[in-house]
Amino acid sequence: MNGSDGANGDERANSPGKVNAHADVNGLRLLAQGRWPEPGDTELPRLPGFTDSPFNPLVVTAAERCLHAWGRELPGRTGLLLTSHSGDLGTARAINEAAGSGRRVPPLLFFQSNPNAVLGHLAARWNLTGPVVATSPPAAVPGEVPPDAFELASLLLADDDADQLLVIAAEQADPADPGRAVAVLVGTTA
Amino acid sequence: MTGVRVAVTGLGVRSAFGAGIGPLLAAAAHGRPGFGPVDRFDVTHRQARRAALAPGSPVLGEALTAVLAEAADQAGVPDGPLLLARHGDPVTAAGCAPVQERWGSGRVYTGACVAAGTAVADAAALITAGQQDRVLVAAGYLVEPDTFAVFDAGRALARDGEARPFSAGRSGLLLGDGVVAVVLESEAVALRRGAEVLAVLAGWGRAGDGYHVCRPAPDGSGLARAIRAALGRADLTPDQIGYVNANATGSPLADQAEVRALHTVFGPNPPPVSSSKSVHGHALEASALLELAVTVESLRTGLLPVNAGWLGPDPDCALDLVLTGPYRAGPRYALSLNSAFGGANTALLVAAA
Repeated sequence: MNGSDGANGDERANSPGKVNAHADVNGLRLLAQGRWPEPGDTELPRLPGFTDSPFNPLVVTAAERCLHAWGRELPGRTGLLLTSHSGDLGTARAINEAAGSGRRVPPLLFFQSNPNAVLGHLAARWNLTGPVVATSPPAAVPGEVPPDAFELASLLLADDDADQLLVIAAEQADPADPGRAVAVLVGTTA
Repeated sequence: MTGVRVAVTGLGVRSAFGAGIGPLLAAAAHGRPGFGPVDRFDVTHRQARRAALAPGSPVLGEALTAVLAEAADQAGVPDGPLLLARHGDPVTAAGCAPVQERWGSGRVYTGACVAAGTAVADAAALITAGQQDRVLVAAGYLVEPDTFAVFDAGRALARDGEARPFSAGRSGLLLGDGVVAVVLESEAVALRRGAEVLAVLAGWGRAGDGYHVCRPAPDGSGLARAIRAALGRADLTPDQIGYVNANATGSPLADQAEVRALHTVFGPNPPPVSSSKSVHGHALEASALLELAVTVESLRTGLLPVNAGWLGPDPDCALDLVLTGPYRAGPRYALSLNSAFGGANTALLVAAA
């Protein structure tokens, strides 16, 4: 992975201070955060409707931990920004193997063939009606929100299509890797 | 708004109709679809077997390099920064790596059918905020076996082999090649150096449905909010819009939701509407940029794209569709709309130069 310091990052990457530092630089206010794994985590929860890849449960687990940490109703429009340098390696492999096999391709793979689907799942569950955005940053460290995502969050908020953004950074090292994800809810400092 | 206007000063296009925007708009204006049998890979095991394929054996990285060079040359600019929209899988990423080495390793947008629309909106935001004088936006999708297979499995592809947006009897979308680059820059900066302004990106909007993993909100509420955001940024009222290049893919449910969004914003009588996807197919991550290019050229020529494949009226899709061409209307302002999985919506509002 370009720019990463190892498939699983390190302890510094998990420090709340590091998230805060990036957020402050971009004029963002950190409202809440969540991540996977946290100490004691062993296995990602299942995510009904999604198959073959840990990526989507990874995204939802980190995002919902962040939203539960916020614990209040979100005012106005909340946008979603999923950023991943690796992308969903598990789904990509499953689609490639199924398409090349000559067998029937599982229809569920259609629904999760792009990263917007899991964002739609979150948006529907939490009534989030801001922009739905998925990006691949130039570089990423697993367990950290990349600077590129904070820059984009700052731009989207300044451009006034959202009142706050749920930014989720998720990385897999290989198709079976449960990976690491961090989610931050950010608003403007104004 | 800061008063900075965003100009389109360069376009590079590859589609089923070959190189350049000219052949593509000619086909759209006459309603001549570019669909044919897929011979690029084996479709023996698929139910659908047609798409709009570019001639030859295009390679995504090479095609992106070509359209970026053409757009930059037309605009008279040496480089980016670049925002790129493409599929997020590792094979596509590897194929596009040389493009980013040449044009800048900036952000990549992977958000399905609004990926390029979001990139354009963000580029415009960077320019109006004074953070950049210009941004190159490029996007590419070439029909390939993996996506074709999953769209076929999801029963998203038209079973009768034709794309029929808004039509009675529509049964789904057809995929199509699209590789596009656009140069966006501050209009004042462009005019100072004597560049030709092809069109002005007067407004943009992004909004989510908050409704479902893949189905659009039936009332089109997210798309309606995106359109209103674009109108607001452009400081225009709905009655000033003269043409809408709709997202409509030929999907029974999504087309209906888009009609409701248009009626929400425009009332019972929206301006002339068509979906140029009926001619060039659905280019997924590149679709919004391909359709923006069509819309820009439509404003330049005054010729509106025809909504091809139409069999007859659907009472749930009551619109003033452009059904025959060439239809010369000469609108001053046009909208290009896109929606995607996850309830994502973008609206781009283009003004004639």
